Amino acid sequence: MLKTMIFLMTFLMAFPAYAVDGKKLLEQVDRNLNPESYEAYRKLINIEPDGKKKEFTMYSVKKGQDKIAVLFLAPASDKGRSTLRLGENMWLNIPNIGKPIRITSLQSVVGGVFNNADIMNLDYSAEYDVEGVSEAAGNYLLLLKAKTKTVAYDRLKMWVDKGKKLPVKVECLTEASMLIKTLYFKDHKDFGGGIVRPAVIETDSPLYKGYKSVMIFAKIKKRVFKDEVFTLTYMPNLESLR
Amino acid sequence: MKRNVNLFLILLLIFPAAVLAEESYTFDAGEIEKKPYHFGGYVELRPVLYVLDRDAALYKLQYYQDPRSTFIEWNGRFQLEGSYEKGIGSVFVKTNTDLHYSTFANGNERTAIFDGYGTLKPSPSWKFEVGKKTLKWGKGYAWTPVNFIDRPKDPYDPDLPIEGYIMATMDYIRSFDGPLKTFSFTPVILPVYDHINDDFGVNNRINAAGKVYLLLYDTDLDFIFAADGSRTTRMGMDFSRNITTSFEIHGELAYIKDYQQPFLDNAGILQSRTQNVVSGLMGIRHLTTFDLTTILEYYHNGMGYSADDMKNYYNYIRQGYNRYNSTGNAQMLNVAQNLATGGYGRLSPMDDYLQLRLSQKEPFDILYFTPAVTVMFNLDDQSYNITPELLYTGITNLELRLRAGFIRGSRDTEFGEKTYDYRFEFRAGYYF
Repeated sequence: MLKTMIFLMTFLMAFPAYAVDGKKLLEQVDRNLNPESYEAYRKLINIEPDGKKKEFTMYSVKKGQDKIAVLFLAPASDKGRSTLRLGENMWLNIPNIGKPIRITSLQSVVGGVFNNADIMNLDYSAEYDVEGVSEAAGNYLLLLKAKTKTVAYDRLKMWVDKGKKLPVKVECLTEASMLIKTLYFKDHKDFGGGIVRPAVIETDSPLYKGYKSVMIFAKIKKRVFKDEVFTLTYMPNLESLR
Repeated sequence: MKRNVNLFLILLLIFPAAVLAEESYTFDAGEIEKKPYHFGGYVELRPVLYVLDRDAALYKLQYYQDPRSTFIEWNGRFQLEGSYEKGIGSVFVKTNTDLHYSTFANGNERTAIFDGYGTLKPSPSWKFEVGKKTLKWGKGYAWTPVNFIDRPKDPYDPDLPIEGYIMATMDYIRSFDGPLKTFSFTPVILPVYDHINDDFGVNNRINAAGKVYLLLYDTDLDFIFAADGSRTTRMGMDFSRNITTSFEIHGELAYIKDYQQPFLDNAGILQSRTQNVVSGLMGIRHLTTFDLTTILEYYHNGMGYSADDMKNYYNYIRQGYNRYNSTGNAQMLNVAQNLATGGYGRLSPMDDYLQLRLSQKEPFDILYFTPAVTVMFNLDDQSYNITPELLYTGITNLELRLRAGFIRGSRDTEFGEKTYDYRFEFRAGYYF
């Protein structure tokens, strides 16, 4: 009897992983992380091996699957800089130069381990297909493959908290499965408006040994913007949205 | 109690990370609180050492009364900016003070309002601005042929801020789904009267210009026009597109009607020619996986002088210099200096140029360090300028840059006849 009970419980614990719709799970993760359209404040801290830090404060706005803009608020040398992502197009606008220039997702306008794709990240379900779902260490493990060659990372391994449907860890890999960086999602916080999510994302990379970058979210609020906000001509005006 | 303390110490030795609290990151609400006003600024110190070329025509023109082999220039820049926002309206002002002191020309100071304008933004689709500002049209890095309105930028330092003109502008923006993602229209009205934009061109004119921007099939496209007024009619277009995520291509084409160009003929007589001219630029920008950025641009300057035009100018200067030395009469040199304030003295005064810029971010993992080298090549006379530089931004808000300039060219070439052969510059800039 006891053996039967143990077998049934094991079967019931394993079975849900095979019944999980990976695509739906990924979409749920996206919605649990952020509303589809929102504004947020973030701080990005680059930490060097000797402990020295460089901090950037940013205001971000996002709409739908493929529109995101970021405005730098601090430090003074970066204040007023903005980046815009519209589909597969990305631009950087520096106030003194004033003319937006095209940039790539693998560059980093702030240095450190985070790059432009991490700062201006779209929904995971917009950029990745789910190749497989399994269980690992009590979490779901999603294996993701980039939909196009223009996506920053060819493959992702995403560990998702079963109960909260939020990422715990993401490994970003090349096509040859070489590890580029790892993102750790920590410090769950209630941001209000039904948004409960990790407030801290830490990242490290075997390519930058000893360096760490941390992204802290201070405010995330659902907000709908007009499409015209996400245009090159509007970039100098992002401050007026705050 | 003692047992608990001992247990704690044992655990601390075995599991220090577990026992000690994890680093907590703070985000002060005051850091993101929006205030209606903002003040900031920039201060810069920039000493420059010139090693002069005493055989060069332009050296003779500039230093005929005070010959020397080198001189040091001390430059300072101080910028203050402030803004205030209330509802849909805002005001922005930026002042710039340039200080120069050299062992040649003593000191001088110039303060100007670089920007000073009011803005109304009733919605994301509409914006109205009146005041002094720059437009920064064009996609080129070193040159922008379609820059019909702004003051010309320095191709040796294209990122320097420039002083605006007083104008009224408007932005109308529309977004769409489909291949055409964005349309925007920016008309411009720029008056020229006494003390208002009086260095723009012919006085007592109202100038109209405009730009249409499209994001079409993931390509930035601009169509630009400037109607006849203080300057002759101009039309142009530019584009920028990513061929791959790391490879960008851009270009500009400008047509200028009835461009009037003063020139010296081979007898040293000042003449003028009027013609329709075409200027163009093609460029690429590439980023490697190891963060090497390459910018390569070809520029055709339709308003430029030919190699023969420049040779006549340099000969005129040499004749004027010889006359001054033998008679003390500087009239020819004065005429040459007046011509230098026009086309002959413009940066990139000739027809065809090529510029290559290579910059490597953080080589050998040296954080916040970016060495670069820029080569500008005059395709008409095969003279060139090489500018290596080192940039360090490791201290928050501080930028340190060391640059050198090496000029090469034979007699009667643009770079061969410049006042100096070598130039060494250090720049320390601080933002606050």
